[in-house]
Amino acid sequence: MNKSQAERYARHIRLPHALIVGVGGLGSPAAMYLAAAGIGKLVLCDFDIVETSNLQRQIIHRNDAVGEDKVESGRQTVAALNPECEVETISYQMEAEELKQIIESVDIVLDCTDNYPTRFDINRACVETGTPLVIGAAIRLEGQIMNYQPAANSACYQCLYTHAYGAEESCELEGVLGPVVGVIGTMQAVQTLLILAGQGEALVNRLLLFDAYSMEWQGVTLPKNPDCPVCGKG
Amino acid sequence: MNVNIEFYASLMKYLPPGKSRFRREVSVEDDITLSRLITQFHISEAEAHLVLVNGHFVNCGEDRDQRKLVEGDTVSIWPPVAGG
Repeated sequence: MNKSQAERYARHIRLPHALIVGVGGLGSPAAMYLAAAGIGKLVLCDFDIVETSNLQRQIIHRNDAVGEDKVESGRQTVAALNPECEVETISYQMEAEELKQIIESVDIVLDCTDNYPTRFDINRACVETGTPLVIGAAIRLEGQIMNYQPAANSACYQCLYTHAYGAEESCELEGVLGPVVGVIGTMQAVQTLLILAGQGEALVNRLLLFDAYSMEWQGVTLPKNPDCPVCGKG
Repeated sequence: MNVNIEFYASLMKYLPPGKSRFRREVSVEDDITLSRLITQFHISEAEAHLVLVNGHFVNCGEDRDQRKLVEGDTVSIWPPVAGG
């Protein structure tokens, strides 16, 4: 598109909007790659502040951001990367209804959180609003990525996770190799761009598993659970 | 009969001694069920989150109780992951 066309169609073309829940190890690379790729707007949501112990893996945050809200620190890094990417920040934990409203206002959601209850809430809101969702998770030396694509009536997060397994595990307690969350967060950005570009067909009902210690990737077909309490009859 | 087991990530600690980081060929009783195999290696139900036989996902519960293994099957097991 030339300059004249860009001016003419500016009000008709809307670059995609994405909600990133969790601006930590997964959300850092995901937000940076999406901003650099030219996404129109990022909604960054996280109620935490930057701590020194976050810096080995949460690469959107700089040393001088310690003590700041993660979403504000994220906004500054995104602005430095691509000032044309609009950023909205939410620095508190949303209730279910507000979460649903925010999700309805975006084109895609990235679950970059670190706990099952929040993951279940995001998944349910995405299923209810018919919004695509890209889910990443990582701990120690292992990671997983899957997505929910409503247009393809795909499996959702609760087809895979029926309850909160090992709910006490966290990267802070169990540890995580910094680049492992980087790999998974970057793959979330890849899947997001493919889905937004209408090229997500090969990702439907696919779960990717990464074990950094054995350096093995496995791609698994994840069947939709007809009795799923969220997307099925359950 | 012999089957192959692959335990990934934090489950590698349950592998019997051997060379590969994540894979072993093991001898098991004929017609062993998937659930029985998992129990035999002391992996709890909560840890055995993703179980694949020859790359195909097998749901927990009845599916694993009823699934009988045959000679040469490869069973891969991954733990649950939620961190970020």
